[in-house]
Amino acid sequence: MSDLATSGTAAEGFSSRLSWRRHGLLGIGAILVSLVLLAALFADFIAPYSPYELNVVNMLQAPSWAHWLGTDELGRDVLSRTLHAARISVEVALVAVTIGLVGGTIVGIISAYFGGIVDLVLMRLMELLFSFPAILLAIILMASLGTNMLNAMIAIGIIFIPGFSRLARAATQAVLRQEYVEAARTIGMSDLRILGREILPNVSTPLLIEAAVAFAYAVLLESALSFLGLGAQPPEPSWGNMLNTGRGFMAQAPWLGIVPGMAMFLCVLGFNLLGDGLRDYLDPHLKD
Amino acid sequence: MDPVRRHRSEAALTLAIEDLVVEFHSGRGVARVVDHVSLTVWPGEIVGLIGESGSGKTLTALSVLGLLPGNARIVTGTIRLSGQSLLDLSEARRRETRGERVAFIPQDALRALNPVLRVDMQVGEPFEIHRHTPWEEAKRKAVELLAAVHIRDPAARAREYPHQYSGGMQQRAMIAMGLALDPQLLIADEPTTALDVTVQAQVLKLLREIRETHGTSILFITHDLGIVAELTDWVYVMYAGAIVEQGSVEQIFQHPSHPYTKALLRATPTIHTVHSELVSIPGHIPLPNELPEGCRFVDRCPVRFERCSEEPPDFEVGAGHTARCWRCEAGP
Repeated sequence: MSDLATSGTAAEGFSSRLSWRRHGLLGIGAILVSLVLLAALFADFIAPYSPYELNVVNMLQAPSWAHWLGTDELGRDVLSRTLHAARISVEVALVAVTIGLVGGTIVGIISAYFGGIVDLVLMRLMELLFSFPAILLAIILMASLGTNMLNAMIAIGIIFIPGFSRLARAATQAVLRQEYVEAARTIGMSDLRILGREILPNVSTPLLIEAAVAFAYAVLLESALSFLGLGAQPPEPSWGNMLNTGRGFMAQAPWLGIVPGMAMFLCVLGFNLLGDGLRDYLDPHLKD
Repeated sequence: MDPVRRHRSEAALTLAIEDLVVEFHSGRGVARVVDHVSLTVWPGEIVGLIGESGSGKTLTALSVLGLLPGNARIVTGTIRLSGQSLLDLSEARRRETRGERVAFIPQDALRALNPVLRVDMQVGEPFEIHRHTPWEEAKRKAVELLAAVHIRDPAARAREYPHQYSGGMQQRAMIAMGLALDPQLLIADEPTTALDVTVQAQVLKLLREIRETHGTSILFITHDLGIVAELTDWVYVMYAGAIVEQGSVEQIFQHPSHPYTKALLRATPTIHTVHSELVSIPGHIPLPNELPEGCRFVDRCPVRFERCSEEPPDFEVGAGHTARCWRCEAGP
């Protein structure tokens, strides 16, 4: 009975809050993100050609019915390569954001919970990481770790740790002032259990929103690294290295640069809109 | 003496606080917020600890739990729970007593419940922590506990979130959580302050019922004399960090001896005082680092005399009834 009643009001609230006027951008973001994710997941089935198949006879063809988005300097289908590149971007971003989210959350929560010298040391360390420009830090890390995709994921992940840790620290400090944390101690909860049961569930919302925005940034960083030749290595397609190749053919075959550039643009736009939209949707202060 | 307290040996005491001193250390120096407090709670007894805000009653309770704020320190004193000295225990052993042997019921139940967890997850939690009970069983026990504190339709309500509960139900849920492991001592810190009067009466009735059925001792912290008269067996009156009067509830209400207790009673509306004017106590409770010389109530006391510049000892004014006032030197 009471279950039905509450789910009824919840559904009403959901639909009214999802009005186009207020959440249209969230919808656009969600659509763009789903397109990118679908391309990444099903690239093998959607792509009309193999992304590696050379066909020198067909090189630098303009978009046509056979090759919707044209071919590149080695005669490979640009559409197929762009779709497969989405997979690499999503993979790298997913792993990198996970590293940043998990690492940053652990650092931030520990910092806020134990405070004092622990807080001081951890936060100074985070500020040290923060003080480097992201791309420079990524290049330094790649140079010392070696250039391959896994290291690119790790490098980008490390870049995200300070941002997540600050957010987690601030959110934890707010939760620590709540009485239910004190009440948890009165029933004999250990520090570890308080962190997991009382604090983590109450700080997860802002962190997940930040993760959506970080995802967009991770895609950009991966492309930048690949553009510089530090990320995905040819013949592996990546929006970054495709863009780099396209740069040399801007006059003869502009689609080589425009197509991966547009893909990157739509992907980043999608994740940013999704992140902003989720923030507005979930933030209780913006509800009226 | 009160029947509960008569003919008992000290060894049977549920809680014995002796000579407890708690100080705050800050940049501005040392503030003694609990000053040589001694207090006992017998099995099955409901003891009231009354005083204004800032009198140190909550800090006394937190000392028992071992949850004083970081800058507060126990300087001297002993706290025994069923004969076992708590202050000698390691932090890990101390944690085992919380929830298992001593339960705490806070003032504001809604703020003491985690907003993102369902009620059964929270009420069943003590079983998980102390008995390593599997979740499914802990949740089942939570439903039984909710039924025991008279929450209607407990199986369905257990699946709800704290904000879906009314204020009285939230406090019942907190009491259910406190009762989970059948502790010897329940410390209730103004648990009814945030509630309507009718709901308040139900919660008090529930606490009495718990004492009857489980034999649980209750230390009830409050500033509400009405609740003290209705609920408790024995009363400690606390003022500016010290206990100034103690006695059975009848002794305190019929023969209040300390001028502070008398003033508190005059400041409380009852059916008998309905036609007489309520008298507020002039002045305010002194800050711990600004205590006057001698008796700590001297600045606000209507019956002070030369002797009060010296700190008075406890004078016995009845069987077990003591008051810390020079006016009681000659006896009751």
